[in-house]
Amino acid sequence: MKSTLLTAALAVAMSTGAFAADVSGKLVLYTSQPNADAQRTVDAFKAEYPDVEVDWFRDGTTKVMAKLMAEFEAGAPQPDVLLIADTVTMEGLEAEGRLMAYPEADVSAYDPALMDAESHYFSTKLITTGIIYNTAANMVPTSYKDLLKSEAKGNIAMPSPLTSGAATIHMVSVTSHPDLGWDLYEGLAGQGANPQGGNGGVYKAVAGGEQLYGFVVDFLPIREQANGAPVAFVFPEEGVSAVTEPAAILSTAQNPDAAKAFIDFLISEKGQQLAADMGYLPAHPGVTPPEGFPARDEIKLLPFDPAAALTQDADNKKKFIEIFGG
Amino acid sequence: MADRPLATIGRGEWVTLAALFVFAVALFFVPLGLLAKVGLTGGGVPSLDPLRDALASGSVRRATWNSLESATLSGFMALVVGTALALLIGLTDVRAKGAAVFALLLPMMIPPQVTAIAWVQALGPSSVVLSSLGLAPPPGSPHPLYSAFGVVLLLTVQHAPLVLLVALAGLRTLPREMTEAARVFGARPGRLLRRVILPLLAPVLAGAFMLAFVSALGNFGILAILGIPARYTTLPVLIWNRLSSFGPGALADVAVISMILAVISLAAIAVQFSLQRRMRNAVVGPPQPPLRIALGPMRPVAEAALALYVAATLLLPLTALAATALVATYGVPLNGDTITLENFREILFRQGATLRAFGNSTLAAGAAALLIAALSILIAHLATLRAAGLPRRFGSTMNAVADVSYAIPGLVISIAFILTFIRPLPVIGVSLYNTLWIIFLAYMTAFLSIGLKPVVAAYGQLDPALDDAARVSGARYGMRMRRVFAPLVAPAAASGAILVFLTAYNEVTVSSLLWSTGKETIGTSIFSYEDGGYTTLAAAMSCVTVVATVLLMVALDRMGRWLPSGVVPWRG
Repeated sequence: MKSTLLTAALAVAMSTGAFAADVSGKLVLYTSQPNADAQRTVDAFKAEYPDVEVDWFRDGTTKVMAKLMAEFEAGAPQPDVLLIADTVTMEGLEAEGRLMAYPEADVSAYDPALMDAESHYFSTKLITTGIIYNTAANMVPTSYKDLLKSEAKGNIAMPSPLTSGAATIHMVSVTSHPDLGWDLYEGLAGQGANPQGGNGGVYKAVAGGEQLYGFVVDFLPIREQANGAPVAFVFPEEGVSAVTEPAAILSTAQNPDAAKAFIDFLISEKGQQLAADMGYLPAHPGVTPPEGFPARDEIKLLPFDPAAALTQDADNKKKFIEIFGG
Repeated sequence: MADRPLATIGRGEWVTLAALFVFAVALFFVPLGLLAKVGLTGGGVPSLDPLRDALASGSVRRATWNSLESATLSGFMALVVGTALALLIGLTDVRAKGAAVFALLLPMMIPPQVTAIAWVQALGPSSVVLSSLGLAPPPGSPHPLYSAFGVVLLLTVQHAPLVLLVALAGLRTLPREMTEAARVFGARPGRLLRRVILPLLAPVLAGAFMLAFVSALGNFGILAILGIPARYTTLPVLIWNRLSSFGPGALADVAVISMILAVISLAAIAVQFSLQRRMRNAVVGPPQPPLRIALGPMRPVAEAALALYVAATLLLPLTALAATALVATYGVPLNGDTITLENFREILFRQGATLRAFGNSTLAAGAAALLIAALSILIAHLATLRAAGLPRRFGSTMNAVADVSYAIPGLVISIAFILTFIRPLPVIGVSLYNTLWIIFLAYMTAFLSIGLKPVVAAYGQLDPALDDAARVSGARYGMRMRRVFAPLVAPAAASGAILVFLTAYNEVTVSSLLWSTGKETIGTSIFSYEDGGYTTLAAAMSCVTVVATVLLMVALDRMGRWLPSGVVPWRG
C-alpha cells in the first residue's frame, strides 16, 4: 500500500517535473480578478513554471468581454486563457465554439456540478452572494424572507442583473428555489428595493449607510469587516448562490501547453490554497477556507444550471424588468 | 472670385492636404467607418435593420431623450454660471483674479468619475464634512444626488469651467472702443452688459454652450455613478449596459447607439454654425487688457460669492476624497484613531503600476497634445481658407468629424481602435496593439476637437490683409505658414494643447480597453481599484492625481510669465 502510494507520488512528481520543463513561451491571460490578485496568481504560476512569460490584462468581466468581442470581430483574439467571473458567460463562449476542451484536467476532487461536463471551463473559486447589513441596523437577517419585514422597507440595495453577472446568477438561483421563487423578487420590489450597478456599488451603499441591507458577494464585507468597516455578512438559511470564477482555454490559443499548465495550476491544491490566502472561498473541498468564512461543508449552495440559465437568460431578464422596471 | 485673385490655393496647400488626408483616414475615417460597418450589417449583408430596431426600442428612445435633456439643461446652466463667473472676473475689479480662475478651472481637470464619487461621499450619510457639522442625513436615507437633478447639477459643475474659459478668451478680444464709447455716453454697467457686451459676445457664448452640450452628451463618469442608481439612463450608459449583456449582437448594438450620438452631435454642430453665422460680428481686435468696472461696496459681496462657489465646487468634494483616502476602509469615520497613511504608502511605494501609470499618461497625453497643436494650425488654416474648394471643404469636414469623435464615448473609440489596429499595420508589418502608441493615437482621435476649437477661432480673428500682403511679397505657403500664421495662432494652439494634455492626463474611458500590463494609465488604475472594491486606494490615487495636476498647472503658470498672453488658458 505504502509503496504504491510512493510510486504514485513519484510518478506524479516526475510527470509534473517533465511537464514543467516542456512548458515555455508566452502566455496571454485576460482576467476579471482585481489587480493585486491577478498579479499574485501570475507570480505564483511563474514560480512553478519559470520559463513561461505571462502577459495579462485585467478589467471587469464586461470590459474583458468587450475587448475580446472586438478582437473576435477583427479576427485576431489575443488571449490563451480566460479567467472571468461566471459560468454563464463561459457557456455562451462554448456555444459559439470559442473554447478548447481539456478533458485531461484532473477534476476528481471537485463537485461535478462546478465543472463543465465537456471540460471546456473549470471553476476556481466560490464567490457566493448572500446578505450584507450595516451594523447600525436593528434587525439581523437570517433568511432571504427577513428582507420582506417592515424594518428593511426602503433600505435594500441590490446589484442589477442587467449589469452584474453575479447578480444574474443570484436571481436565477433564488427564483428557482421552491420556497422563494419570483415572489421574493416581487416582495423586494414592494419594499422599494432599487437594483443598480454592480456589487461594488451595493457594498459602498451599505458600508456608507445609505442603505442598511443588500445582496452582495461574500469577500467584500468579510475582507473589509476585518479592517473595521461597519458591515457584516450573512449566509442565509436557504443557501447562497455562487459565481465560480471559471478559467478556460480559447480554441484560438497560441500556446495551449502553457494554457493547460495554467489551468492545472489553478485547480491544483497549491493554486486553491492561493485563492484561500487571497481571501476567497476555494472551490476545492479539501482546502481550508480563509478566516471569516464558515467551514466549507456548512455553506449551502443553491442549485444552479449555467446552460439552462443561458437559454432562459432573455426571459429571466424580461421578468426582472417587468417587476422592477428597466 | 475675380476680385480675390490673391486668395488662390497653391502647391503647398495641396501637399499639406494630402498629408492631413492620410492622417484623417487612419485615425478618423477607418476606425469610425469600421464601427459603422459593424452597426449596419445584419447577418453579413449591409442593412438598416439594426438602426431601425434600435430606434424602435423603448430603452433607446428613453436614453436618447435623457441624453438630450441632461445635456441641454446642464449646457444652459453651465452657460449661465460660466458666463456670470467670466463677467465677474473679466470685467470687474474683484481681487485675486489669477487665483480665482485657477481654482475655478480645477474641477474640470479632475476626472468626472472622481468628482462624482467625491460628491456622493460629501453629501451622503457617511459624509465627514456634514457629520462634523451635524447635518449628515441619517443612515438609510436615499442619496439626494441619485436623481436627474443630481446628474444635471454635477454636469453643470463639471462643464461651467469650459464656458468660463471660452468666455474669458472672448472678453479679451472685445474691442475696447465700443465699451468705452458706451460708457462715455453714460451707460450704466447693467445697460452696457445688455446692449453692448452680451450681444458682442453672443457667437462666443453659442460656441461655449455647444462645447458644454457635447461634453455632457459624451459624459460617462458622472452618468454611470449618479445616473445608474437614479435609473436615469443616457446613451453612453446604455452602451455600457448593452456591452454588459455580451450577447452576440452586443457590438452591433453599441455601434448603432454610437451612431445616434454622432448624429445628435452633428446636428448640434450644424445649429451652432448657423447661429454663429447669423450672429457674426466683424469687430474683433487683438487681445487687450480687460475692463475693470469698479464694484464699489458690492466688491466684498462679489468676492464672497466667488469664494463660496469655489468652496462648494472644489473644497467640498476634495475634502470628502481626502477623508476617504485617509481611513483603512470605506465607511469608517475619520478621526485621530482611524487616520492612516497606509493607502498612500500602498499605491506610491508598493504598487509599481502607480508610478508607471503616471509616466505613461504623461508621455501619451504630452505627445498627443503637441501633435494636436501642430496639426490644428494646419487643419484650421484649411478650414478658414477664403477660397472655396476641396481644401476648405476638407478642413471643415475635419472640424465636424473631430466634434463627433469627441462626443462618442471613449469606450466606443477604444473598440473602434481595436477593430482598426489589432492587425499588423500594412507595409511595416508591426501591430500597435498592446503598445502605448495605440493609446496615444486614440487620444489624438478623441481630443482633437479640444485643441482645434481655439485655433479655428484665432484664424477667424486674423486680418485677411496679412495673407494678401505676404502673397504680394511672393511668400509661398510654407513661408506664410512659418512666418505669418503659425506665430500668430501659436498662443491659441498652445492653450488648446494644454487643455488636451490635462484632459487626456485624467481620462479613463479611452484607454480602458487599450491598456495592457506595463502600459497602464492614471485613469485605468483608479478605475481598477474602485472596481476591485478598494475604494480607499482609488481615493488615495485620485488625491495624488489632483496634487499632480495642481503642480503641473502651477508649473505652467510660472512658465506663463515668459509666454505671450493667452498661452496659459487661465492667465489673463
